[in-house]
Amino acid sequence: MKRTDSASIIIRRRALGVLGNILGVAGVVIGVIGLIWTGAPGSTVIAAFVVGIGGILLWAVATPQEFAGFFSGRQVRFGTMAIISTILLIGIVALVYLQLLRAAWTFDATQATRYTLSPETERVLSRLSSPMRIIGFYSSRALTTREIDDQFFRLYETATNGLISREYIDPDEQPAIARRYGVQYDGQVFLANVRDDGTVDLATLARVPRGGAQERDITEAIARQLIAGRLTIYFDIGLGERGPLDATQEGVSAVFSGVQESGINARTLDLAQIAAQGGEIPADASAVLFIRPLRDLTDNEIQTVARYLEAGGALLLLTDVLFSEQPFLSERGAFNQFLLENYGIGALDAAVVDPGLSAQTLLDVISAYVFAESDIAARLDPAVNPTLFSVARAVDVKLSETPPNIATGRVIFTTEQAYGETNLTLLGETNTYQYDEGVDLPGPLTTAAWSTNIQTGAKIVLIGDGDFVANGRIVTTDGAVTVPGNGILFTDSVVWLTELSEEIDFQPQMYGQALPLIFVSQQQMDIIAFITVIFMPAAVLLIGIGIWMRRSRR
Amino acid sequence: MTKAMIEVTRLTKRFGDRIAVDHVSFLAKPGEVVGLLGPNGAGKTTTMRMLTGFLPPSEGGAKIAGHDIAADSLNARRNVGYLPERVPVYPDMTVREYVFFWARLRGQRDARARADAVIAQVNLSERRDTLIRNLSKGMRQRLGFAQALVHDPPVLILDEPTIGIDPRQVIEVRDTVRELGRTKTVLFSTHILSEAEHTCDRVIILHQGRIVAQGQPSDLKRKLRPDATLEEVFLSIVGAERGADK
Amino acid sequence: MTSWIVFRREIAQFLTTPFAYVIGAAVLLLTGILFNRDLNISFSTKPADPALVPGILSFAMVFFAPLLTMRMFAEEQREGTMELLLTAPVRELSIVLGKFLGAWAYFTLLLLLTGVYQVILLSITAPDLGHALSAYIGIWLYGGATLTVGMVFSALTENQIVAAFLGMVALMLLWLADQAGQLFSNIDVAIIFRTMSLQGHFSTSFASGLMRAEDVAFFAGIIAVMLFITAQILESQRWHG
Repeated sequence: MKRTDSASIIIRRRALGVLGNILGVAGVVIGVIGLIWTGAPGSTVIAAFVVGIGGILLWAVATPQEFAGFFSGRQVRFGTMAIISTILLIGIVALVYLQLLRAAWTFDATQATRYTLSPETERVLSRLSSPMRIIGFYSSRALTTREIDDQFFRLYETATNGLISREYIDPDEQPAIARRYGVQYDGQVFLANVRDDGTVDLATLARVPRGGAQERDITEAIARQLIAGRLTIYFDIGLGERGPLDATQEGVSAVFSGVQESGINARTLDLAQIAAQGGEIPADASAVLFIRPLRDLTDNEIQTVARYLEAGGALLLLTDVLFSEQPFLSERGAFNQFLLENYGIGALDAAVVDPGLSAQTLLDVISAYVFAESDIAARLDPAVNPTLFSVARAVDVKLSETPPNIATGRVIFTTEQAYGETNLTLLGETNTYQYDEGVDLPGPLTTAAWSTNIQTGAKIVLIGDGDFVANGRIVTTDGAVTVPGNGILFTDSVVWLTELSEEIDFQPQMYGQALPLIFVSQQQMDIIAFITVIFMPAAVLLIGIGIWMRRSRR
Repeated sequence: MTKAMIEVTRLTKRFGDRIAVDHVSFLAKPGEVVGLLGPNGAGKTTTMRMLTGFLPPSEGGAKIAGHDIAADSLNARRNVGYLPERVPVYPDMTVREYVFFWARLRGQRDARARADAVIAQVNLSERRDTLIRNLSKGMRQRLGFAQALVHDPPVLILDEPTIGIDPRQVIEVRDTVRELGRTKTVLFSTHILSEAEHTCDRVIILHQGRIVAQGQPSDLKRKLRPDATLEEVFLSIVGAERGADK
Repeated sequence: MTSWIVFRREIAQFLTTPFAYVIGAAVLLLTGILFNRDLNISFSTKPADPALVPGILSFAMVFFAPLLTMRMFAEEQREGTMELLLTAPVRELSIVLGKFLGAWAYFTLLLLLTGVYQVILLSITAPDLGHALSAYIGIWLYGGATLTVGMVFSALTENQIVAAFLGMVALMLLWLADQAGQLFSNIDVAIIFRTMSLQGHFSTSFASGLMRAEDVAFFAGIIAVMLFITAQILESQRWHG
């Protein structure tokens, strides 16, 4: 286009000089800040310097007298110095801000220490030896959420000296990455190990749930990541147990996948097959779970288990009242005798009837007492989360004259009124029971017990109910927890057996717990309203008018 | 020879393309009352504003009591008492609060005593707790003097101090200026020629930003004719200027 | 030192003219009504929100700060006292600093008055005082920053109404910048805007009980930069006559 309006292209030299001045100083200042911030001249830093030098050249060419005047210390007009000093001040402020942002000095002023990591978290973090990363997916719409979350995440980063790092990805900008992570909602957070080259190990990716207790969620995710793959639990399937993959009401698939989700390897084994082939229980078995086997163990199988225990193994034995021949842990059976002789605990051929505390029938036994001194029962408060055993089997514990090196203890106790019905045939056939003096076992009775060999480290938990962890007893079809105590008993038994308690020992911080609600009477409310809405503004206004009137008469 | 209290050299002020003050140079000694004379827009106020440090000069410079108004501005300002054309006041302050404020701001140690003394000097003692908004115009003018004198400066710069007040007060102001002129250097501007004639030891006539004449009123008159008034002197000079321009 | 003298005149001006009392009464009425409303809502359902009043003020200051500062320089210009100030042996920055400290002290007094709400809460429940203190320190710095923004516009124009209006617009933008994420799909751009916003350094930190060094630096930085710019504007007026 040749026809150009000449007036429109006249750019005043002065304006050009000012532009050059601003660009020059701003470019250099941004460049210096960038250099200090990143520590190395990156492309942005170089670009800023180029713009800065270009701006200064423009300034010098457009208004040479002013440029010369500035450096000779004589100010030709106001502006140059003002612009330079203002930009410099902004630069210093920005630099201080960025340094403090990096230093992340914070002070938690809340009563509930909401922005301080709990000792439990710090204990988990102290075990961290390899880098992990918290990866958050936030779009620009979830920026405020990100800001709030970041305050928690950076506590972890600071506490671990950067071993835990933070990364934020915008799922709108990078949908491919979001898909690879399987992002389901804006603001979703993941945790993963970091490889040596600094990239995220997607194989270790874990979702961090978004709940009310953010610190607990993150810390538990980290704790799980820490134990991930290091522990293996075997579910025995060779003795007619409840199926770990059986998703029906009768199966135990819920606890099986629950174990997996908590970072523990869950596998199955067939004791019968191993014993038959003369093999051993795998050495990596942190614990072997027998969830209501139907038949008792053969001598061969007992030998296999005994060797496993000798090597420091751990067993979780869930046994039911069975109305069959040679049931699992039959009182007089070889396995029960083995346990009593070597570990001081065993099962009794008696069904617990508790007129003192039970649900629908007297056979639905609710935990009356727990022995909180053991880790297994520490979280089981009968008043808050009792366990419920439908048809419980009494358990025998030798509290004195225990075998050498063996410590034992009860976990759950019935009421005094309870008794152990020994006539199981009658119970099985007619569903009738009554206390027969001298024949039945007098209460209170133990329904769960533990034993450990201090020398070998072998551990056993014996629970007199086989189906308290069946899917139907743990969760309803819509996923709600039915009997929380049952889940806790199972979890904490596993935790104790695998010595996980050393690793996960986390009491969640609950926000608002410490702060009381407001209760005021209507009368108080009226007084408050009067003071705040009428009295105070009016008083301020009247004082003002008074002072003004007094003065204006002068 | 005594040191010059005001020393102006080639003082120039440009506003864009317009030259308001054009290479003005003059000296004023202690105990001298110098009148800046000229019609409105001659550059009197701009000159004074540069001398008080309010406006930075475009070119040239000046020294007040030996301090450069650009390089040593704060010290130069310390030695000046300034009364702008329109007396600047805080209407919601009392006389005393107002004078005290300026005494403190100009670094007076015994500010309260100084304020009371200077209020007495301008005959406002009875009204010292009155709000400024309730003062008459003449009283405000006196208050303006109090403000300018409160730090006992060697140099006083008064911009049209007699404008807009009644004749009796005009005489008062002239007397005050003469009185002050005994000990201080007073630079005072006016566009009323007779006033300059009666009050000043020396007058400087400014026209279109330039000094067109300066000297004792009597000398200037003698140049024209013995019985001429300053008015006639001024008109003849300005007329000659006009003629020369053409 | 000279700032202190200007400060004393400024605070005296606030305390002896009815204007400041009208503003104070309006702020107290607004916070009082909202405080009672919150009390009614949270009655027996949730603990007291310690950051309620500072939160209200964080929005109210968008409007009140320019009202407090609009006359600061405009009036001096109108009455001609600016000329005297600028010919007194005082630096512009001292004048600006003194005036700012005066307005900030007035704001501090206002904040102390709203402490009554905390006293009321203390008498009926056990509020989280640490949280409240954090929110109050936050709004104190925040208020200082909004005042300096108002001062820039007061120095820019002799018209008080224009100064107040421009100040409100600027503060509104700084307030809304927090929501930049809703506007910009690019998260980096949104973050830069949020970093520049007043809310971004208050609502998710101070107001929730977390004091962060960088937020203090942000508000202190805004105060420093705005005061400096105000002083530069005053100085530039010398050059333009």
